[in-house]
Amino acid sequence: MTVIAGSTSAGTDQKSTNRGSNGTALRPPAAAQGPHISRDPEVRLEALFDPGSVRLLTPHDKSGAVAATGTIDGMTAVAFASDPRVQGGALGSEGCAAIVTAYDEALAQGAPVIGLWHSGGARLREGAESLHAVGTVFAAMTRASGKVPQISVVLGAAAGGAAYGPALTDIVILSDHARIFVTGPDVVRSVTGEDVDMARLGGPEPHSRRSGVVHLVAATDADALSQARRLALLLGEQGTVDVDLVARQEGAELDQLLPESVRRAYDVHPLLAGLLDAPGIELHPRWAPNVVTMLGRLAGRAVGVVANNPLRLGGCLDATSAEKAARFVRMCDAFGVPLVVVVDVPGYLPGVGQEWDGVVRRGAKLLHAFAEATVPRVTLITRKAYGGAYIAMNSRALGATRVFAWPGAEVAVMGAVAAVRILHRRTLADVPPDQLQEAEARLAGEHERESGGLERARALGVIDEVIEPSTTREAIARAIAAAPRVRGHHGNIPL
Amino acid sequence: MTEVRAEMVANVWKVVTAEGEEVSDGATLVILESMKMEIPVLAEEPGTVTKLAVAEGDLVQEGDLIAIIE
Repeated sequence: MTVIAGSTSAGTDQKSTNRGSNGTALRPPAAAQGPHISRDPEVRLEALFDPGSVRLLTPHDKSGAVAATGTIDGMTAVAFASDPRVQGGALGSEGCAAIVTAYDEALAQGAPVIGLWHSGGARLREGAESLHAVGTVFAAMTRASGKVPQISVVLGAAAGGAAYGPALTDIVILSDHARIFVTGPDVVRSVTGEDVDMARLGGPEPHSRRSGVVHLVAATDADALSQARRLALLLGEQGTVDVDLVARQEGAELDQLLPESVRRAYDVHPLLAGLLDAPGIELHPRWAPNVVTMLGRLAGRAVGVVANNPLRLGGCLDATSAEKAARFVRMCDAFGVPLVVVVDVPGYLPGVGQEWDGVVRRGAKLLHAFAEATVPRVTLITRKAYGGAYIAMNSRALGATRVFAWPGAEVAVMGAVAAVRILHRRTLADVPPDQLQEAEARLAGEHERESGGLERARALGVIDEVIEPSTTREAIARAIAAAPRVRGHHGNIPL
Repeated sequence: MTEVRAEMVANVWKVVTAEGEEVSDGATLVILESMKMEIPVLAEEPGTVTKLAVAEGDLVQEGDLIAIIE
């Protein structure tokens, strides 16, 4: 295992360490000056939890990691932090045992577990023993997967085993100055000859846009910890639906956020903000942005939102966005978070690149994720749902709890004009060019009456109800409240 | 300097901005047509359009340059 980042994150801290096992020793206030919180893991844990609530589970010594319990807005949670001041935070058997202790406690309490990472990976000095120990951490994470929410906050360089630790958890938050990679720039240079710095190799830019390793980037350490607190509360204290909160209200018509032309793309975010009680937390906002995955509250209850975003790639599903959504759906299902699926999708993205990228294999993950999910899951078709993407976006056939549509929405294998161009190819070939558009429109109208349209979809039972935008929040909230409060029993493999 | 590139294969349906024009964050630069959708391409930061690499009717491939904003 490689130990990297020694030049930036290793080095011994000469300041005396506070070793009290009850966390009462004097130390600087947790409030961060500038982007960095202290490198002291105990200070970091204090900054994460409610003031005065931290209780150490393992001694704060030279083991390289410390575990603790505490509260987040009063909710019990468990956390651990690696200690970058000891061998760059590298993990040996004792440090790994501390992390496993945190996991045992989290499972015993049914509480979320939050890891604060700043570590070069396995301890070189301990050799195979440290590799084995890091493996036991991975195994503990996998045992807990889908049982208790796991959130990772990366506050410095996280390399090798310390990169795969966060990667095994449900949500990864990266502080702006932090880095994640398997092997650092020096090793990369010596093996492949690529000249790259730490930021370009494993900083916020590559991980938020290209790799999908990181769900959220935070401007500062304090911001990263506060995001972790919000997410832990959403997953750990989900609340119940209070329909009074959403009963017919405020006149803010959600459909006014749609453009007049049905062909025009638009940003779905304002619509989602109007759907939820307050703006939610979007995961993977810059990676595969054609699908939005967001945690928030509706009628006071935590929900997971999956939405097509027409502004990006026209809202098409593609290989990456299907995989991103599939992982999110499985996470929500495992923790009992109901799903709200907002559909406006023209189809799967065509192209050689997509096929070779495995749009078939990776798109299948989304079909599997929805079909398997047992949580209440409500679909809202705002404008259109075409083809295979219609099926994938939590359709009735995949087991949607309720399927709603706004007036004028369309469900079809493809757009009507495109359909008649295929179905009536021979007829249309004989039509003079100046009459072609008219002929297409006439055939498209017939086609819609016969095979498409909301009425037909409702008659088939693939849409339960056409609802007005003004009653949408209430309809979704009631559908969730009426469904049994259940959760899936499966892990959350990082798809 | 930001390069704005096409996310997908598309026809350039409308050019909304022009070289030399000041644009704000989120302003529409051009509107592409693909998958029977009109898809606006937006400026991701405020600045001046120093280069506009496409014209109406052009076909752009994924990754093709659309505009440069400085």
